[in-house]
Amino acid sequence: MSRVEIRVTISSDQDIVLARQKGRSLALELGFSSGDATLIATAISELARNIVSYAGSGQIALKDLQGSSRVGISVTASDNGPGIPNINQALRDGFSTSGSLGLGLPGVRRLMDEFEIDSKPGQGTKVVVKKWRP
Amino acid sequence: MKSEVGRKDKQQFEFETEYAATLREYALGGGEAVLGRAYELGRRAIAERKSLLELVSLHHESLTELFHNSVDRRSQTHLIRASCDFLSECVSPYEMAQRGFQDAVRALRQLNETLEEEIKRIAYSVHDEAGQLLVAVHLALANVAQGLPQEQRAPIAQIEDLLNEVEKHLRRYSHELRPTILDDLGWIPAVRFLAEGISKRANLPIHIEAKVSERLPGTVETALYRVVQEALTNTVKHAKAKNVWIRAWIKDQVLHCSIRDDGAGFDAQAVQSSTGRKGLGLIAMRERLSAIGGNLWIESSQRRGTELQIRLPMEGDHVNSSRARG
Repeated sequence: MSRVEIRVTISSDQDIVLARQKGRSLALELGFSSGDATLIATAISELARNIVSYAGSGQIALKDLQGSSRVGISVTASDNGPGIPNINQALRDGFSTSGSLGLGLPGVRRLMDEFEIDSKPGQGTKVVVKKWRP
Repeated sequence: MKSEVGRKDKQQFEFETEYAATLREYALGGGEAVLGRAYELGRRAIAERKSLLELVSLHHESLTELFHNSVDRRSQTHLIRASCDFLSECVSPYEMAQRGFQDAVRALRQLNETLEEEIKRIAYSVHDEAGQLLVAVHLALANVAQGLPQEQRAPIAQIEDLLNEVEKHLRRYSHELRPTILDDLGWIPAVRFLAEGISKRANLPIHIEAKVSERLPGTVETALYRVVQEALTNTVKHAKAKNVWIRAWIKDQVLHCSIRDDGAGFDAQAVQSSTGRKGLGLIAMRERLSAIGGNLWIESSQRRGTELQIRLPMEGDHVNSSRARG
């Protein structure tokens, strides 16, 4: 069950800043350490960057996760862009320039606890990541 | 070359200036927008191959300057707090990259183990399965020979000789791939066996002086054997050496092994710092050793040959007893 849902439309660098800010403050509100909040902002940056560079525009949705014994945050990045033809390839470190540096989608996957991606050519991309409070 | 250096200096200068200016802007109340730029600076630093230490020292310099220009205690306190947020933001891409490297190192170690299994399987196929096929060929030939008059059997005998030769080579290769001696007698006898084969094939005298009789855990002995094997392969391939010396000894609870040749040598620093395929063999050797707690030193100079030195501290679980082997 989640109590909060924040949506940020992403189409420019300023929007990325807003999404980061909302994500960071939600993470702090949920009791994440400031270090973890920074990493969550980092993941949001990477996801939002991908939206701007590959799809032009899209959306970041932030939610709190209230489990029976744990609390977390979920970040959903979605767009109606061209989609990713080969998801496995996109998740491989060496595939893109940023990936070869350990950044990009492979980097996001390592920062968060859960990672799901759904994308079809011509039908956009949806990435859902979650992080639980330790 | 000169313009390349100039371009790099300029890039460095621009980065430093931008870092200082962005930090200042954040300290003056820049908020999330400026933090976002701190993050982008960190990303750029990775792409430009700046080390984390470089970045931290740049941060320190910029902070010191701002600190001296602060008017009062309150603004100094605020500056310190803000600079901490700024720095974490800037290094967070490094955190992401570092987790990637940790994964890669784990995968590499896993891969080494898988490779070792694969090698065992191939060595077995070459030795046992190919060996059995050869026996079948021998029998078939013997049948053919029986149906022939005595004076026509000479070519068959010749083929049999050749087959025996093939069998000898297959057995040799299989043992070098994964010597049973390695499991039975240890890495030093295995290295001796390997050196003997290479020495003959490459016409290269390999002198071995080993004062180590202790047995080590299986994974450790395999790693040592593989590193020596890679070193010898490199020497044969590239060094144009006339002699190789392998020495192994234990001093102060540290296992030393040196592999030295009198060949052409190479620019060790350039090869090790190159990012291409060139230094990959050395990186793999180093990684293999670091997985068992050891390290590798390389000294090489043109005309004076190459020396590889392995050092492995013999801590508790490494020492003695064949019982430790699994």
